[in-house]
Amino acid sequence: MTTEAILYIANPDVSYREEEDGAILFNPDTDEVLVINVTGQLVWQALARPMSCGGIAAALIAQCENVPQDQVAQDVDEFVAELLGRGFAGIYEGAA
Amino acid sequence: MSPVSLPPVLSAPLSVDIAITGRCNLHCGYCFYADEMVALRDLPGERWQAFFVELGQLAVQRVSLTGGEAFTRPDLFELIDGVVANRMRYNILSNGTLITEETLCQFEAGKRRQRLDYIQVSIDGSRAEIHDKSRPNSFERAIRGLRLLVEARFPATVRVTVNRYNVDDLENVARLLLEEIGLPAFSTNEAEPGGMAKRQADEIALTPAQRRRAMAVLPALAERYNGRINAQAGPLALAREFQFLEDCVADGLADLPGRGTLSSCGGVFSKLAVHHDGTIVPCHWLPSLHLGQIGVDDLQTIWREHPVLDKLRCRRTIPLHTLPTCRDCPYASFCRGGCPGQALLLTGELDVRSPMTCYRLYRERQRLSPVEKVVV
Ligand code: SF4
Repeated sequence: MTTEAILYIANPDVSYREEEDGAILFNPDTDEVLVINVTGQLVWQALARPMSCGGIAAALIAQCENVPQDQVAQDVDEFVAELLGRGFAGIYEGAA
Repeated sequence: MSPVSLPPVLSAPLSVDIAITGRCNLHCGYCFYADEMVALRDLPGERWQAFFVELGQLAVQRVSLTGGEAFTRPDLFELIDGVVANRMRYNILSNGTLITEETLCQFEAGKRRQRLDYIQVSIDGSRAEIHDKSRPNSFERAIRGLRLLVEARFPATVRVTVNRYNVDDLENVARLLLEEIGLPAFSTNEAEPGGMAKRQADEIALTPAQRRRAMAVLPALAERYNGRINAQAGPLALAREFQFLEDCVADGLADLPGRGTLSSCGGVFSKLAVHHDGTIVPCHWLPSLHLGQIGVDDLQTIWREHPVLDKLRCRRTIPLHTLPTCRDCPYASFCRGGCPGQALLLTGELDVRSPMTCYRLYRERQRLSPVEKVVV
C-alpha cells in the first residue's frame, strides 16, 4: 500500500519513449512493457526525482484544471502501486 | 476492399539487428551474409559502444547480435555490457561451435544473463555427415555448444535451415533436438537465394519436389510434437500460408483485413539492421539498401524520414491485384506478397511480390491442376 510518507522513484533501468498516442515504458530486466497515457506520462516524469503519491497528485492537480482531487489521488495511488509491483519504480531509500 | 492505412511510424525502432563482426570460423554453403563479410571491415568496439548509447537514448528495447560469428569477437562481453548499460535486452545468433564452459561462465557477470533473450544455434542435420555438408566440420562442436547451453539452463533455441542435404533428415533432426537434447522448441527456414546460396543454388537450394516434400513433412512433425516446431519462413511457414489461402478461397471470403496488399513485411515498422562496418540497412535481407552510417547519420532521422524506409512501408498500400503478376490470381485478396528482400534479390524490384512465396507460381512449378490442393 502506498502512503504519503513513502517516496517513490522511477527505476533508472527502465526506458521511456514517447509515441503519438502515449508513451511506452520498458523494463529490460523483466522484459515487461507498459503503455501509458498522458496522465501516466506526467506521473512518470514526476518520478524522475523522489516523490510521494501526495506530491505527485498535487503536481497533477496544479497542471490540470477542473479535476476531482479525490479521484486524482486515488488514480495516482493505483498507478504508482502498479509501477512498483511491476518493477518500473521503486521506493526511494536515500535521504529525502 | 477499403483503402489501407499505414500504422503511425514509431519514434524509433523497437529493435536493431546488428552484425557485430564479419569474421566467422565456418564457411557455410548458404550464408546470405557472405558477400558483405568479404567486402566490409569490422568496426572497433568504441564505435559500437557509442551506437549503443544512441540506441539507449532512443529507448530501443533490444538488439540481435549476429555476424559472421558473434563469438569470434574478443570484446563480445564488453559489447554486451554496453547493451545492458543502455537499458536493452539482447539475443545472439551463433553457429554454436565456440560456446564452451568458459563462455557460459562469462554470462554470469552483472546482468548479462538476465538480459539475454536467447542464444540461437544453427543445426542442419541429425548427424555430422548431413549437418557438415552445409556447415563444414562443425556438427560435434555445435551440438556440444547447444548441450552446454541446455544443461546450464540458458534460453537456447535452434534454427534448422532446410536445404538439399537435410530435407530427408527432418524427422531425425526433430527427434535429436526435441527428444534427446530436450529443447522446448525449434524453428525452421530454408536456404534462401542470398549471398553464397545464390551462387550455389544448384547445390544447396531445395528443388521444387524437395520443397513439396518438406512442406508435407514439417507440418506433420509439428503436429506430432505439439507445435514445438515453428517457422516464419521456409517450407513450414509456406505450407501453413498456402493452406490459409486455400481455406479463404474455399470459404468464399471476399477479402481479409491486413491482406491483399504487399503487407508481408512488418519489420520496417519496428526494426532496422546494421552491417559490421556500421552501414545502416532496413534489414539484413535488404543488404544493398544503404540508409546511412552509424556515428555519422542520426538514427532517428533515418528511421522517420528516409525515403527508402518510406517506400518500404508504403508497399503495404499496394493492392496485389494491381500488380501484373497477380492481377487475375484467385488468392490476391488474401495473399501478402512475401518478403521484400527476396523480391528485390530475385527480380531487382521492390514493389513486386516475392516469387519464392507466390502460391500461384508454386502451383505452376509443381504442375498442379486447378483443382488439386497442395497442402490439404
Ligand atoms: S500471384 Fe502469387 S503473389 Fe500474387 S497474389 Fe497470387 S499467390 Fe500472391
